[in-house]
Amino acid sequence: MIFSFELLAQAIVMGLLIGGIYALISVGLSMIWGVMKIINFAHGEFLMAAMYIAFFLTAKAGWDPYLTIFVTVPALFLIGVFIFQLTIKPILYDPPMNQIMLTVGLSLIMQNLALFFFKADVLTSSTAYTKMNFYLGEVVVRTSQLIAFIGAAITAIMLYWFLQKTELGRAIRATSQNPSAAMLVGVNVRNIYLIAFGIGSATLGVAASLMIPFYYTSPTVGLYFGLIAYVIVVLGGLGNFIGALVAGLIIGLTEAVGAVFLPGSFSRVIVFGLFIVVLLFRPQGIFGGKQQ
Amino acid sequence: MNKLIHNKMAILSIGLLLICSFLPFFLPDYFLHIAILVLLYAYLATAWNILGGFAGQHSLGHSLFLGIGAYTSTYLFTGLGITPWVGMWIGAGLAGLAGWFVGYLSFRYGLKGPYFALVTIAIAEAMVSLTNNISLVGGAQGLDVRWEGNNPLVMQFENKIGYYFIILVMIAIAIALVYWISHHRFGYQLIAVRENEEAAEALGTDMLRVKIVATVISAILTALGGTFFAQYITYINPRNVFGEGPSIQILLFAIVGGLGTVWGPAIGALILVPISEFSRSWLSGTFAGAHLLLYGSVLVLVMLFMPKGFVGLFEKIKQKKFRKQSTPSEKEI
Amino acid sequence: MSFLTVDNISKQFSGLTAVADLSFEVEKGEIVGLIGPNGAGKTTVFNMLSGFLSPTKGEIFYKKKRITGLKPHQICENGITRTFQIVQPFPELSVVENTMIGAFAHNHKTEDAREKAMATLKRVQLEKKANKPAKELTLLELKRLEIGKALATEPELLLLDEVAAGLKDTEIEQILNLVRQLNQDGMTLLIVEHLMKVIMNLSRRIIVIDFGKKIAEGTPVEIANDPAVLDAYLGKEN
Repeated sequence: MIFSFELLAQAIVMGLLIGGIYALISVGLSMIWGVMKIINFAHGEFLMAAMYIAFFLTAKAGWDPYLTIFVTVPALFLIGVFIFQLTIKPILYDPPMNQIMLTVGLSLIMQNLALFFFKADVLTSSTAYTKMNFYLGEVVVRTSQLIAFIGAAITAIMLYWFLQKTELGRAIRATSQNPSAAMLVGVNVRNIYLIAFGIGSATLGVAASLMIPFYYTSPTVGLYFGLIAYVIVVLGGLGNFIGALVAGLIIGLTEAVGAVFLPGSFSRVIVFGLFIVVLLFRPQGIFGGKQQ
Repeated sequence: MNKLIHNKMAILSIGLLLICSFLPFFLPDYFLHIAILVLLYAYLATAWNILGGFAGQHSLGHSLFLGIGAYTSTYLFTGLGITPWVGMWIGAGLAGLAGWFVGYLSFRYGLKGPYFALVTIAIAEAMVSLTNNISLVGGAQGLDVRWEGNNPLVMQFENKIGYYFIILVMIAIAIALVYWISHHRFGYQLIAVRENEEAAEALGTDMLRVKIVATVISAILTALGGTFFAQYITYINPRNVFGEGPSIQILLFAIVGGLGTVWGPAIGALILVPISEFSRSWLSGTFAGAHLLLYGSVLVLVMLFMPKGFVGLFEKIKQKKFRKQSTPSEKEI
Repeated sequence: MSFLTVDNISKQFSGLTAVADLSFEVEKGEIVGLIGPNGAGKTTVFNMLSGFLSPTKGEIFYKKKRITGLKPHQICENGITRTFQIVQPFPELSVVENTMIGAFAHNHKTEDAREKAMATLKRVQLEKKANKPAKELTLLELKRLEIGKALATEPELLLLDEVAAGLKDTEIEQILNLVRQLNQDGMTLLIVEHLMKVIMNLSRRIIVIDFGKKIAEGTPVEIANDPAVLDAYLGKEN
């Protein structure tokens, strides 16, 4: 491998930008996991669904990709709520492994429904933003990725404000810390679970719309993102909002910089290796969060 | 256990074995293929069940061991000419080591439930990425098992019946092993650890050792199945042996059949594999993922409506009948 | 050195001292009570004796053998078994199977373990419920099972953790009789208990701790009249 500072700088920039998206994808999972103690193994597939929606709106209906947010976000919220009511609410108090198996089943269903309807094609949409880029010194920055990062940051800030400052947000945080206590002070815990699941899914709508100018969609696109999301959530600390954001950036950087020094998809191995190490030696994450 | 029931079970099992031994000679080729797949997945699910069902540690990355078995024997065969009959034991040994390693690390550091599941997923996925990059074993292209015509000495048969009997023997041994375990100290301790780790530990069960041994046994058996898998399917790549597909399938059959039961995984495979294979051939032209869609749906439905699987369902029905016949003094107040 | 010697053990949890320089002894054949107000550290002591926690400082000796820091199953193998305050059955297993898990500590063959388990169930009067799933038992029966599981491991020293908690008066009487019988059959017992009448009735000797320290030790009569003890209990919500 040829080492050059330009290459490294490029990797760092790209790593940070994609890290922002990773962070956004993970924040929703962190919230769901933190509030309901449910690991949604279909989280990646929800993203995939949103990306298909964004794709068709941009590629077939000519929409500006960033306007698709107005469709993907409510759509994902509704999908989340629907799936929660139908499949997750009934097993809320079942053993965790049952819940995991159920969401694994959901992910299989969603992947293969996508396969059925849209075939295995890798779909990219060409938008006005797709080819835009600019230079930061020697480093090439894809405008769409920068916009995605900024969009992710804005969404994260909005979500944080929501959780800290609004009554509903506080109810969600209270439920995630102590459901029984929350119930005692009048919080309708079942509804909170529903809303949290919906919001956690809706964040994926934003992520999808932000990604579609520079990322493809396919039935299996959710696999890696889903996996990365768990890594980030654990790394950042279960239910730890800021932790997920920082961990997202760390993983993005690790992946990108790893790709500079290591051949092929070895950087993925590093990411998984990091995951395993954290699970073994510091399962509460770098910043500490709730344990299971 | 009642000696009478013991003997009844033995007779039934031998009877079943005899039927299965005569069966292949009457089956057309396509059905023989399905029978082999049923037995293979029943075998793999039974192996998984030792760790997942009996010990209660749900590994979502068991394909790790499948892949180690498959790649070891196949590489030794195609690269060094070593017959799979030998290669499979080397693969099993490596898998046993891997199982010890994974088990020790995970359980020494107290990983349980979802966290353990995540570790196993991560390890299996890491293997996929790793293997994709090692050109020695074919990278992403994988390896083809070199076809030498009918040669039992290298586990290759012109007629599927050869494969059938190998896997029949394997599953017979696996089920006998699980049956034996479930009636001896190790099996009881496995269940105790699953039901209440701390209580088991307080009563003298070395829960770390028990979990690790279960992992190693399960790994070794799965790896042996991996060699068979490679020999029968004749083509392996990182995704089809280390990927999540095999991992999910084998645990699905165990769950649908009944976790922690001797016959559950076999029953699950018996029910699901033929359905999925038929759907695969009906729809292969139009829809490649039909069987996975089926598996996903089954998983969701089972978790919602019969989480104890089919064996659990039988038990519930049996109990209801028993309650109806019970005398008043035995009924709950 | 006695049967069980606890030598200056302490337990710290990052800044919080749960147990401080505690020493006491238990002679073979005794019933010794360990009491103290809520939060005094009794459960922590039990956890250290049974291997679920390691002392930060100090040593524990059993029959002259150092057992400090051994894992719970090793301590059980050595002859000390504990029960849990909140009963910990194996829910899906039957009563006899529950007990067999204990029996397997020293009996490796299934038939032997089953025999031992059935014999143990007779001692705790649960033999009629041998094949019932544990999750269908009443609380009193579960308490008996809890003791039975521990008995099946053939201990010489039994650590009972608030065995009377949650029981009605008549039920407590039954458990008391069971414990007395066990002692008469040769079992040494260390009992943690909240209910004064239980402890006073059973123990030959009582150790009182508060804030992790021993504040009194003596016969039930001596303890009942010890001003330090009265102070500790009356000075707090009891």
